[in-house]
Amino acid sequence: MRAATDILGLEVPIASIEAELRKLWEADEASTKASLINFAIYSEADDALARNTALLAEITRDHSCRAILIGAGLDRAESHARAWITAHCHLSGGRKSVCSEQLAFQLDGKAIGRIRNIVFAHLESDLPLVLWWQGELSRIFEPHLVNLIDRLIVDAAEWRDVPAQFRLLGEVLKQAPPGLVVHDLEWTRSFQMRLALASLFDDPAATAWLPGITGVRIAHRPGHRIAALHVLAWLSTQLGWQADPVLGRLDLHSPNQTIRVELSETAPGDGALESLELMATADVRFLVARDPACTYYRTESGEVIPPHRGLAPSDPHTLGGLISAQLERAGTNSLLRRILPVSLRLAGVG
Amino acid sequence: MPAHSTLSNPLREGLTSRALPEPCTVVIFGATGDLTHRKLIPALYNIAADGDLPPGTSVIGFARRDKSSDGFQAELEASNRDQSRQPHNDAVWSEFSRHVEYHRSEFGDPEGYLRLAARLPEIEARRGGRANRLFYLACSPDQFEPILCQIAAARLCDTGGAGWARVIVEKPFGRDLASAQQLNAVLAGTFPERETYRIDHYLGKETAQNLMVLRFGNSIFEPLWNNRFIDHVQITCAETLGMEGGRGAYYDSAGALRDMIQNHLLQLLALVAMEPPVDLSADGVRDAKINVFRSLRPMEGVEGVARSVVRAQYVAGSIDGKGVVGYREEDRVSPESMTEPYVALRIHLDNWRWEGVPFYVRMGKRLPKKTTEISVHFRKAPSVLFNRMNLEMRENVLVMRIQPDEGISLRVISKIPGGNLRMEPVKMDFHYRTSFGKASPEAYERLLLDAMAGDATLFARRDEVETAWRFIDTIERAWHESSTPPSMASYPAGSWGPAEADAMLAGDGRIWRRL
Repeated sequence: MRAATDILGLEVPIASIEAELRKLWEADEASTKASLINFAIYSEADDALARNTALLAEITRDHSCRAILIGAGLDRAESHARAWITAHCHLSGGRKSVCSEQLAFQLDGKAIGRIRNIVFAHLESDLPLVLWWQGELSRIFEPHLVNLIDRLIVDAAEWRDVPAQFRLLGEVLKQAPPGLVVHDLEWTRSFQMRLALASLFDDPAATAWLPGITGVRIAHRPGHRIAALHVLAWLSTQLGWQADPVLGRLDLHSPNQTIRVELSETAPGDGALESLELMATADVRFLVARDPACTYYRTESGEVIPPHRGLAPSDPHTLGGLISAQLERAGTNSLLRRILPVSLRLAGVG
Repeated sequence: MPAHSTLSNPLREGLTSRALPEPCTVVIFGATGDLTHRKLIPALYNIAADGDLPPGTSVIGFARRDKSSDGFQAELEASNRDQSRQPHNDAVWSEFSRHVEYHRSEFGDPEGYLRLAARLPEIEARRGGRANRLFYLACSPDQFEPILCQIAAARLCDTGGAGWARVIVEKPFGRDLASAQQLNAVLAGTFPERETYRIDHYLGKETAQNLMVLRFGNSIFEPLWNNRFIDHVQITCAETLGMEGGRGAYYDSAGALRDMIQNHLLQLLALVAMEPPVDLSADGVRDAKINVFRSLRPMEGVEGVARSVVRAQYVAGSIDGKGVVGYREEDRVSPESMTEPYVALRIHLDNWRWEGVPFYVRMGKRLPKKTTEISVHFRKAPSVLFNRMNLEMRENVLVMRIQPDEGISLRVISKIPGGNLRMEPVKMDFHYRTSFGKASPEAYERLLLDAMAGDATLFARRDEVETAWRFIDTIERAWHESSTPPSMASYPAGSWGPAEADAMLAGDGRIWRRL
């Protein structure tokens, strides 16, 4: 493979990207090109292309793809479009070198208006397109763009004005094709924690406590309140609790009682959520908590018969791990669609 | 304290798509053996590491040797460090091994089973009284019947309605139809058929499961999947190993036909040949497979077997550049052995779909490389236009590689670039490992979870096993009971088998696929 000093690889004219890619592969007979998806990452941050190239080196270990990085300089006065190509190669089974192609584009000024033409002309045909939109949804995020996408990944943790961003997302999605699947990484960040909590109620003796839950405690990291609200919305939806937030209070209501909700912010640390606890009585509680001593969650159901104490896989704490986990699960994410209205109500989006 | 409820868990909705395993006590008979150390405990550990082991699940190792639970756990930990698919994690192991105990008893000692019967309720009480019991027969097959009889005598499978009792039986399920029927009768006297799980680890492999997805999840293959478009099918299981590690003792009493064809390869054949099942339930799939076994055309007499089956032994040769001895010189193999480490069969299915399409199945030890695969050879295109010229290998071949290098490839004919019209076969290749970076769970992980969840789809049913034995018995009788048995061919270790197997296909105008 041709040497490239820049982390982005070899700069090439946009008009000859495919020809340059062919040369890249012809020069390296020992490697195998593989791709299951087109994976595009859009960002308006200054250092996005280099940062995302490093992330892709991690993600492509588990997910062969044609990666398309888009760096957008919306406010730049000059109009520029530049492109680079490279590949991420990993040894597979200690034998084959398996590589994912990466195309990186920097679109500045008016060139950003040609994003559909420039970027999406380089998709690997027949493969689904996953777009990870990093940061705030901007004016570029509009129905014509979304119509090309099979899966959209956003991260509400990166949004300054969460209600406004969700409103914009909702508006655009109204015009999106029905098959579009949307993932919010704030929801992805709690997947294993939700699974661990659910597993505590597999035993019918524990399931029987669900109608008697009187309190929920969620401890979240700074900047991850939305992850906590998503979990709360999930509990509310699955257990039939009504969300009727009043100023400053998130308490939920079942037909029999009020469920006291405590959201607390912890010190910075791994992951989005530190613990999730459901209380039934003073003695009966169901807890999933991050254990600083190991990479697993501790799970406990105190004073329930049978009492349980165990370990469960924890959610990834790196962005690359999180994206890998999301890509691996795929699915239609119907649960997020179902809980989102409740989550938005809890977040104060009318 | 609320009353127990049978309500399903609403928090599981949308999070899990598979049937949920239930907490149980896994009792492993043969707990000090190779299978337990290399496969079963690492499988259970990996299930735990993935968060799929139901809380409260316990393991009891039942074996003859004298040792404590602590000593047993230490041995298992050492082997798990070597064998586990995922890196061994001390915290996970510590949590998992808290629920692992050792139970010393002779397999035929009623007292040992009565002690177990007293021990199980204590364990079950710790997880809330649910008496789910999964008995795993991981011992030598001659112990199956005594163990099952003792389980019945000690009423270990009687949970009094407080749970279920299931049994997993490892192959071989008998050594002929009569012994399989006998074993099945003993099994049926202890466990109902719906709680009996005959494990065939080939069916737990990702590619074996993908066979059904390939056939019935795609629209392009099924219309071609019949005798109008398919010329023949080859199923090959090649091993480089011989009789290392003392396995000659067992193998010389079994042979390739009993050891591999009767179970693994006929199961693969059934997945390739079956009609679409009415649903994906255990009986839906197994009903479709049994119809394939029922349509296996019996071989008629010794002549029929001689025409359609080649058995062979390897003679001295080389593997990976190293000299190896012949089969009869192997450790614990009789110098006069008439057991076959190689067998090749031509099988016909007498049904509408497969009339006239032979299935060539071969299995051999000491072949040049380790591989298991199914290749579907389509009929050649008409000999007009491009096919006027005599082109070797011009048929399309769809290959499903079961192990190693799991994947699928399709051979198509393509024009060689240039002014002349020349054509060559080219291969479109899909490799699991390349496309999906993450390693698949081991077959035993999937199968243990299925058994805990009560899903028997990937396990063999009694009628499948017995019908397969009925087919195999005809061949074994011709080999071992006839006064004029078909001859035993030979091949040098490290070659692709005997010339007689090549001749069998050549007589049909076909050749074995080059692997």
